[in-house]
Amino acid sequence: MALRKQNDDLRTSRDGLHGECQRLHMEYAALRSQQAHALEEVRRDSEAETKDVLKSWMRTLQVLADEQQRSISDLAQQKYGNDPQMLADLMTIDHTNGQFGRRAQGIAALCGGWLGRRETTASVYDVARSAQGRIKHFDRVQIHTQVNVSVTSTAVEPVAVVLAELLDNATNYSAPGTPVEINIQAVPTGICLIIDDAGLGMSQEEKDRAAALLSPETSVSITSLGNPPRVGFAVAGVLATRYGFKVSVDSVSPYGGVRAVILLPESLLTNEAPEPAADAAAFADTGRPATGPRSAPMPAPVQIIGTTPGGLPKRRRRPAVAVVPEPYAQEPEPEHDGEVTASRIGAFARGTLLGRNTTTTEGSQDQ
Amino acid sequence: MTGHGEEAPVSSELVRSYVITGGRRLPSADDLSLHTLVTLAPDRELPLGASPEVRRIWDLCAGGYLAVAEVAAHLGLPVGVARLLLTDLAEQGHLLRRAAPPPAQAADRALIEKVLHGLQTRFA
Repeated sequence: MALRKQNDDLRTSRDGLHGECQRLHMEYAALRSQQAHALEEVRRDSEAETKDVLKSWMRTLQVLADEQQRSISDLAQQKYGNDPQMLADLMTIDHTNGQFGRRAQGIAALCGGWLGRRETTASVYDVARSAQGRIKHFDRVQIHTQVNVSVTSTAVEPVAVVLAELLDNATNYSAPGTPVEINIQAVPTGICLIIDDAGLGMSQEEKDRAAALLSPETSVSITSLGNPPRVGFAVAGVLATRYGFKVSVDSVSPYGGVRAVILLPESLLTNEAPEPAADAAAFADTGRPATGPRSAPMPAPVQIIGTTPGGLPKRRRRPAVAVVPEPYAQEPEPEHDGEVTASRIGAFARGTLLGRNTTTTEGSQDQ
Repeated sequence: MTGHGEEAPVSSELVRSYVITGGRRLPSADDLSLHTLVTLAPDRELPLGASPEVRRIWDLCAGGYLAVAEVAAHLGLPVGVARLLLTDLAEQGHLLRRAAPPPAQAADRALIEKVLHGLQTRFA
């Protein structure tokens, strides 16, 4: 009897302890989740802070890279353009700088920063060529397009950066020497840029990773990209989501490698033709280009009689004398008026004769 | 959009010159000097798939002789790059080229005066 009572007591206390244990378990779980929350918040804060710092750092680098590219262009156009060796060296520096600028833009994009704003629209062909210039093995890229459409100014940089990232992947993960093709095609909702490589393709795991990074729902944490970080798809995903276009890499190229597709919707396209780079501004006030090799003497301004469909000035056919540069020209002295006139008439006569001859034959007067 | 502040403008050229040349070797400056004059050969068709730069050269050179330096300036490209494109077109037979005529020599004033003087004394 006493034993049974004792047993009952023990059972009650065991149940009580059980309940206590369960309560503690729940409390523990609550605390764990609270801690996880706090940790998550701290992580999010620190990620946001890191991104902010990186973003403003990158902004400085981006501006410097852009400035550098402009100086290189100026040197190439105005100083060393006529020297093939010097120009080739400048192009090498320019090429490296282009890749450097793209990296800075990529990190900026991942951190929610800006890429930099273009002032004018650009043909989709030029955007593709711009992307081509931002990767190491640009000479393996071939662009085929039948589409004559422009990209709005705001979309120029993002599309170029995304395309460059995809081209970088395509050239890095395929055999050296194999071509990487860009085909640009019109589709009912916009245009498609299709990038095909002849590499080995991606494993299922790599495809899943790419699909996750390219999905608009994913928010990318910069510490999750590995070390060294693989940023290509992450950058593409962030920019595509932000600017409203689509990127996919889930198909196989005709060469067995990866096929990446960028789909640009109508809203990022325009039929407005981009302005021809050099002439538009320069011709407006002076009648001839403002930039150009300083060492080259320019002929006298020529009468412009209209504009070609491409926006270039049309000029009247004229005798060769009109463009003869005068490298040895001295200040004409007033008392030599007669001589000047005589030499001009002589040059004119020779010029028209030469002009008539060379329009039908080539060779004898070749330099 | 998470960026604060103004977006900095980008003003470097969109298409870099090494992309236009395709990374090819640049021709020597002697091949087509700055002063060499070029024009389109008669009855030529623009090659299929011509790049925008080649198309612009085509338009420019259709109007008569232009100096190489002038073509480069119109295109806004370094002379060496324009020279490569022009060399391509010349090799395909699309371009005629010739050296700039030498600057006219000033006539010998003393000689002309002598001739004039002689004519005056002979006929006046």
